[in-house]
Amino acid sequence: MKPSHRAPTLALLPAGLITFVCFYLFIAWTFAISLTSSQLLPSWDFVGLLQYERLFASARWWTAMGNMALYGILFITGCLAVGYLLAILIDRGVRAEGVYRTIFMLPLSMSFVVTGIIWQWMLNPGLGIQQAVRGLGWEEFAFNWLVRADRSIYTVVLAGIWQQSGLCMALFLAGLRGVDPNIWKAAKVDGIPIWRVYASIITPMLRPVFFTAAILLFSLVVKSFDLVVALTGGGPGFSSDLPARFVMEHILNRQELGLGAAGACMMLATIAAVVGPYLYAEIRQKKGG
Amino acid sequence: MRGRLNRSGTAAKAMAIACLAFMGTASAAQELEVMHWLTSGGESASLSVVRQAYRDQGGVWRDAPVPGGSAARAAAVNRILGGKPPPVFLFSLGAQLTELSSHGLVIGAPGAGDEWDRVLPPLLARSARYQGQYMAAPLNIHGENWMFYNRALLNQAGLAVPRTWDAFIAAAAKLKTMGKTPIALGGQPWQERLLFNAVLLGVGGRDFYRRVYEALDEAALSSPTMLAVFRTFAGLRPFVDEGSPGRRWNQATAMLMRGDAAFQFMGDWAKGDIKAAGMEPGVQIGCALAPAPDPAYIMVVDAFAFTRPRDRATAEAQKRFVSVMMDPAVQAGLNRAKGSIPVRTDVPDDGFDICAKQAMALVRDPATNLASTGMGLSGGMAGAVDDAISHFWNDPRLTPEQGQELLRKSILAFR
Repeated sequence: MKPSHRAPTLALLPAGLITFVCFYLFIAWTFAISLTSSQLLPSWDFVGLLQYERLFASARWWTAMGNMALYGILFITGCLAVGYLLAILIDRGVRAEGVYRTIFMLPLSMSFVVTGIIWQWMLNPGLGIQQAVRGLGWEEFAFNWLVRADRSIYTVVLAGIWQQSGLCMALFLAGLRGVDPNIWKAAKVDGIPIWRVYASIITPMLRPVFFTAAILLFSLVVKSFDLVVALTGGGPGFSSDLPARFVMEHILNRQELGLGAAGACMMLATIAAVVGPYLYAEIRQKKGG
Repeated sequence: MRGRLNRSGTAAKAMAIACLAFMGTASAAQELEVMHWLTSGGESASLSVVRQAYRDQGGVWRDAPVPGGSAARAAAVNRILGGKPPPVFLFSLGAQLTELSSHGLVIGAPGAGDEWDRVLPPLLARSARYQGQYMAAPLNIHGENWMFYNRALLNQAGLAVPRTWDAFIAAAAKLKTMGKTPIALGGQPWQERLLFNAVLLGVGGRDFYRRVYEALDEAALSSPTMLAVFRTFAGLRPFVDEGSPGRRWNQATAMLMRGDAAFQFMGDWAKGDIKAAGMEPGVQIGCALAPAPDPAYIMVVDAFAFTRPRDRATAEAQKRFVSVMMDPAVQAGLNRAKGSIPVRTDVPDDGFDICAKQAMALVRDPATNLASTGMGLSGGMAGAVDDAISHFWNDPRLTPEQGQELLRKSILAFR
């Protein structure tokens, strides 16, 4: 090895080692544990795929997975739509732009736990929005999604969008500011309506921004845990449970290390199923180009 | 820079001297580290009874509190696995502790003797043993099947304390027409399970409870009695207010104390909050056992467990700790403060509140002793039972038949 290469290699070594141990080794360990009958403590009594069979037989697991899919789709599209709309409105040259930007970005400075608690108060039928509207005279007004087993997951989506659309707005705003002003001038000369410029020209140009925002939000979806814990506690019942919460509860409170590990491996498999094709396409593109 | 180095050198020397001095005292009386989660008002007062008695005997106590029961248990297990086991730590009797014992990670309670067999309630003695040996020293007995009620509200409605579930439902219907919330329920799975088990006990009786949770008897789970339990349980849904899901138990207790709600089914730890609010349990807020055909007490037991001592001195300290904690006077003092009842049946009930007096008399009859699901079932099964009950309770579309099937499947899947 040439001396000039030694320094960068040495500098990268600690990070590489940490990544190897903390990610790949622990993933392997979790997978191995998921094949054992471990309860409170790890044991190496291998039972094959029994824990996966138990996992797939659990109604609660499928509720959690279904919730993640629903939450993921609504949360990502919601954040993108709201964020893009806000960015466009600000970009149209609103007065006191800085004030609006700050307002929309503020929720982002709060943790998911704080967001969860705020929305828990707002959505609590006895304290929040429902009570306030009833107080104004609409006695029949009902907005009790938080306490309805068939609606509670939507409240998580709502709180998530409120928190994260500011981030999307910032990304889109940066993208919009990067658009060549000549495009706007040309569109004006040709007499194309503004909405049409956004729909047919600007939006396609911002594809990489959409992509970045979607990837960022996707990672939030998979690891989402704190928001649901603070907002609904997974309830009512386990109707708003998410896989991460399922795994944590089974490992820490229920003496089911093996089952929890199996759940964690399935979460990884879900991410791999989404990210894998993307990586594959990226690598092929690089080879081709 | 030099100056700083010098100074830190002096600091190191000072520390070394301090360490030496410290080791000197440590050899005289071994410091005992005690891990626990007793941090709230009444809990902390109860532990300080033990601490004071231990210090009076010349022991050196080092407190290691971790707030929150499950966090504290997880911390203890992590320290054991990490090779720095706490010599004494609080745990709950049940499957987790049995697993620790079966791996040889906790030792038998030092100084446990034949006396324990004589004074502990038989169910408790059975739960505290692993392969014939006591694996932990029980601290207290909490009861889960209490029904607290707002006395003024019942008087105002002209209602007597219900003794059967039919009477309860009639009373609840009347309270609802008065615009009050009949049942203050915190809608978390474990609280919903407490309510369910109260109904199970009240409709099925204590032998049925044992058939379900001790024998895991499939015939009992499929029986018409179980269906009747689910019917009654489902019949309680209209008596809970809309804001229930996710509410903490002490918020529900506050509703009761404010007079917004009439009843709460909760463990006797609620007395701590009632006292803290300046009320006397049994006076403004009455306590009765949940309606049931025969008297029974669903028990939850906290217990101190012990790891292999590093040296003789620690072993001595552990032994002294057990003898202090099991002393009848200490048992009386700590349980008065905590709202629970002593684990020894030979402790006189002087100075206890009226609810605890009732419980202490009850527990002396072994036929009344029942184990909570957390104590009797494995962690996974107890969790699955919670899931089934909570799922049924929160989805009004489910029929009692479907609820029965949910519970049956959850229990049989783990049998």
